[in-house]
Amino acid sequence: MSGASIGRPFFPRVMTTEENRSNVAIFFCQQLDPDQDVNRRALEKELGTRIRFFPLPCSGRIEALHLMRALEAGADKAYLVTCPVGACRYREGNIRAKKRVEFAQKLIQEIGLEPERFELVNASSPGPFSIDAMARELINKAGGLPSSPLNVKKPKEAAHNTP
Amino acid sequence: MITAERKPLPEIKESITPYKKVLIVGCGTCVAECASGGEKEVALLASALRMDAKKEGRDLEVHEITLDRQCVYEFIDQLAELVDRYEVVLSLGCGAGVQAVAEVFPKIHVIPALNTTFIAQTKEAGVWIENCRGCGDCRLDQFADICPITRCAKSLFNGPCGGSKGGYCEVDPETPCAWHLIVTRLEESGRLEKLAPLYPPANWSKKEGKGPRKIVREDQRH
Repeated sequence: MSGASIGRPFFPRVMTTEENRSNVAIFFCQQLDPDQDVNRRALEKELGTRIRFFPLPCSGRIEALHLMRALEAGADKAYLVTCPVGACRYREGNIRAKKRVEFAQKLIQEIGLEPERFELVNASSPGPFSIDAMARELINKAGGLPSSPLNVKKPKEAAHNTP
Repeated sequence: MITAERKPLPEIKESITPYKKVLIVGCGTCVAECASGGEKEVALLASALRMDAKKEGRDLEVHEITLDRQCVYEFIDQLAELVDRYEVVLSLGCGAGVQAVAEVFPKIHVIPALNTTFIAQTKEAGVWIENCRGCGDCRLDQFADICPITRCAKSLFNGPCGGSKGGYCEVDPETPCAWHLIVTRLEESGRLEKLAPLYPPANWSKKEGKGPRKIVREDQRH
């Protein structure tokens, strides 16, 4: 799997809720955005539960279980954003991260889900970036993936939830 | 330690098909070290099974627990209050763990989720190599602490077969030739005379031919 690249200097518009109903989980290396705690607030406020950020001290901290739990909790897609290859502060974190994402992809393939539901994204340069801008780009990209079959309500659930 | 690998998910899924309440039991010792049956692997399997059931619109209740050791009664006792609430136990222990749990709880079906493989050493992160066959007649001292029974593809006792290439086995070119390792180590430690005697064949009666083996230590018994 080759990681996609993001971080180009543009700020794409987030699709309207009618256009894109994806639930997205974004795991990311905190080294990319030292101000991530502030920068992600606006988007979290805008999209509410449809976006979940998970800052990591290094992308190498990711475990397959983190990604699985994100999907289980309702994400349609989970991204892991890493520093560029060769620019990891801890040298090998993003290399390990890639292996773990690949492992997690195999696990969901076993249950018939698309491996694309987990994606590793290498930042195009060491940054710093605004995680908010990165996330907007990733959310747009996730809109191309069908909703997770795990999020389709069973008839009795749907009936129960109808007001 | 004992190594194991998780069975393919379709096989596990088929084995639990009749059940709606599954207790997944991991083991925090050997199979945790080889990343097949510890707490993390229990959580991964539980997550995969829950998602699979949800995707197919099936009801499935999964509970996770990892014992420190699944082959020792004192630890298995932790399941006593849980087992009755589930229809089946899915064990991520080695074969010994599965059977020990089954013995303690005779009324519940215990299903293995792992294939137990061999006795191994952790060579490096993520790599485990078989280095003991459990033959019951250890002769490591005679062979520079390298087991020719396990690590030589032909289990030779009296020197190499001649098929070694560049220090690697002709049967598996990724495996170092055990006899190359033995001779090198004896040379480096000045103990080459260890190779002078002719060694008789292994006494396999200590491993096989009498059914399951047993160790009894009176000083350890109640």
